[in-house]
Amino acid sequence: MEKILVSPSPHLHTRTSTKSLMRDVVIALLPAVIVSVLFYGWSELLILGVSVASCVLLEYLITKYMLKKSCTIGDMSAVVTGILLALNLPASTPWWVVFIGAVVAIGVAKMTFGGIGQNIFNPAIAGRVFLLISFPTYMTDWAKPQGFIGQSIADAFTGATPLGIAKGAGAEAVAGMDYSDMLFCNIGGSAGELSAIALLLGFAYLLARKVIRPYITCSIIATVAVFSGIFWAINPAEYTDPVFNILSGGLLLGAIFMATDYVTSPMSNLGGVIFGVGIGVITMLIRYFGAYPEGVSFAILIMNSVVPLINKWCHTKKYGR
Amino acid sequence: MKTFSIGGIHPNDSKISKDCKIEILPLPSKVFISVAQHLGAPATPVVKAGDVVKAGQVIAEPAGFISAYVHSSVSGTVKSVGPRKDIAGNNMTHIEIDVEGDEWAEGIDLSDTLVTAIPEDNKEILEKIKLNGVVGLGGATFPTHVKLCPPPGKKADCLILNGAECEPYLTSDYRIMLERSKEIVVGAAIMKQVLGNCPAVIGIEENKPEAIKAMTAAVSELQSAGKAYSGISVMTLKKKYPQGGEKQLIDAVMKRQVKSMGLPIDVGAVVQNVATSLAVYEAVQKNKPLVTNVLTVTGDCLPMENQHNYQFRIGMPLSYIAEHAGGIPESAVKVISGGPMMGKAIANLDATTVKGSSSLLYLTAEQTVRNAETACIRCGKCAEACPMGLEPFLLQKYARNSMMDELEENAIQDCIECGCCLYSCPANIPLLDIIRIAKGDVIRIIRGRAAKK
Repeated sequence: MEKILVSPSPHLHTRTSTKSLMRDVVIALLPAVIVSVLFYGWSELLILGVSVASCVLLEYLITKYMLKKSCTIGDMSAVVTGILLALNLPASTPWWVVFIGAVVAIGVAKMTFGGIGQNIFNPAIAGRVFLLISFPTYMTDWAKPQGFIGQSIADAFTGATPLGIAKGAGAEAVAGMDYSDMLFCNIGGSAGELSAIALLLGFAYLLARKVIRPYITCSIIATVAVFSGIFWAINPAEYTDPVFNILSGGLLLGAIFMATDYVTSPMSNLGGVIFGVGIGVITMLIRYFGAYPEGVSFAILIMNSVVPLINKWCHTKKYGR
Repeated sequence: MKTFSIGGIHPNDSKISKDCKIEILPLPSKVFISVAQHLGAPATPVVKAGDVVKAGQVIAEPAGFISAYVHSSVSGTVKSVGPRKDIAGNNMTHIEIDVEGDEWAEGIDLSDTLVTAIPEDNKEILEKIKLNGVVGLGGATFPTHVKLCPPPGKKADCLILNGAECEPYLTSDYRIMLERSKEIVVGAAIMKQVLGNCPAVIGIEENKPEAIKAMTAAVSELQSAGKAYSGISVMTLKKKYPQGGEKQLIDAVMKRQVKSMGLPIDVGAVVQNVATSLAVYEAVQKNKPLVTNVLTVTGDCLPMENQHNYQFRIGMPLSYIAEHAGGIPESAVKVISGGPMMGKAIANLDATTVKGSSSLLYLTAEQTVRNAETACIRCGKCAEACPMGLEPFLLQKYARNSMMDELEENAIQDCIECGCCLYSCPANIPLLDIIRIAKGDVIRIIRGRAAKK
């Protein structure tokens, strides 16, 4: 011992790092990724590849040549954004549209604010919403699952998503739908909406590894259940039921993986609940009364913008005060 | 099972040395006894070079209300009285004594006989605690006689004995609870009587089942020894850091929270460490001054046969202890005095033991070197971990921008510096380093304002 190291306490540190947290999110996303590849095949693999590769590359180029600071791609947050963006797109999206989504997600929503930790809006959702508004034809061309397995499924719902059908033809059109199909990936929609079970597996993993707290996710789901439950009880012919609303669209994907994004969600548990209730209400308002069949992305973006306010109002309970 | 209600973390407890019996360290040829071994004013030396002293003889007297007596831990000749570097490398007056034999001052009972009869006069007890230089051994080394005299109008509802030992690695409290359980209970009975016979609770974490068993047995065995021995109980606490923090322990045991800037006695609590209880026993029942204590020599990089729990005398050079324990392991880069969460990194191994010394903990580079700071990802893990319910992410931002009013509003002055925030930050932000400095500034502002009024 030639030199003795002196520093202030504490002298130990957790093994958890930004990178290990992001790695856990990637692992939690794997079931959904595997299901989407199995059911959508090569086209989905291409989207995932283009999305992840362009997100990482763009972050590298921007940190190196524009911001001229140390490169942050090692923390794997760009990988998470890439996977989430891919899971939010229809399997038939052309590769160049995916790339534009990545440019908006990383280039506009993340790096212009200063990179990881600084962005106000969830990058993947910002990318998706940009594409949804700019390329509505590509973004609503929902492929019927057609991949490595399960060739001839869900005939009743070709092309349109369950929510799209409900929007167009009314709640009765989806009333006969088998919810087990929705649990096990037999529905049309963007890749990540395929299987509720796969998403819930990821949720369980994130909770077990203490990556996220359950408040945001649970309050979104509970709000959607209560909101749609009331309307459905009053008029089941016009309004879709709670189970349908929870299992359809990007609700679970959004509630589990997007709304819980550390950077763009409130810090406190109470703040998380307020945030979640807000997302749930806005989602249901759009689904029932808006022009779009689906509203989770818009709801999360809108609530992202009020996070600083929520953080200002909601503080932790202090000892002895 | 009880525990504190806000925050906390679960680091690996690493009690590697828990089965090592307490061994008595042989005397070195020289000791250097610091006059600042307690919180408050350093004591004033009352010996000079050439004086012959016996072990247990007063060599420095308190220099204020919050100060303490310091005794010689050895017999021999005073060689010098002057500045010497302490563990942080700061100069402090030390009394250097050449050790000659091991003769103790008169009136000190060095036998092992357990004395259970407690003096009836509380004044006499307090005087003995004061004269024998007893200070809190849980970390803060606050003079014990001061803590046992609640200010007028305040009454103790509960004496809490801190046997949590929530810091990883440390095992000295655990060993004394196993090996000297009855003496600790007598010490508790003495303090309880002084405080007006309030109930006493010995809080021990669940990861020390043998200590819980030993202390429970000692309590029930002594039950019949007198009035002061009734109303003492052992409470098992969940394993969570910082359970042994004074405010956290009060919350866990009494379900009461001390107000900001308040004292435990405001909510009727007096907290004393189990080691302090043992020192009180020795001071009152044996008239033995606080010149010995137990420390743990441990670390993952230390071979099992070199792990030790030593009974040391104050003034022993740390390097002497390290050598006696088989030397400093090659892979160690940092030596800690105290636990890895709140202990101090030793800058000077020639420094000597003090009353509150509790360990020589060796950490490797892999364990202790901090990684480079990255951007805050607002995960909120620091706020989740903070046992005071503070928001370290917010405080560090305010602190970096010197926003003193906001810091005070967000209760930076309540920080207990337990290190949970920095420990749990995935972005390696030096939260506590920044907060600690700003906290000092804010407390100075608060004190300055109070002084003006």
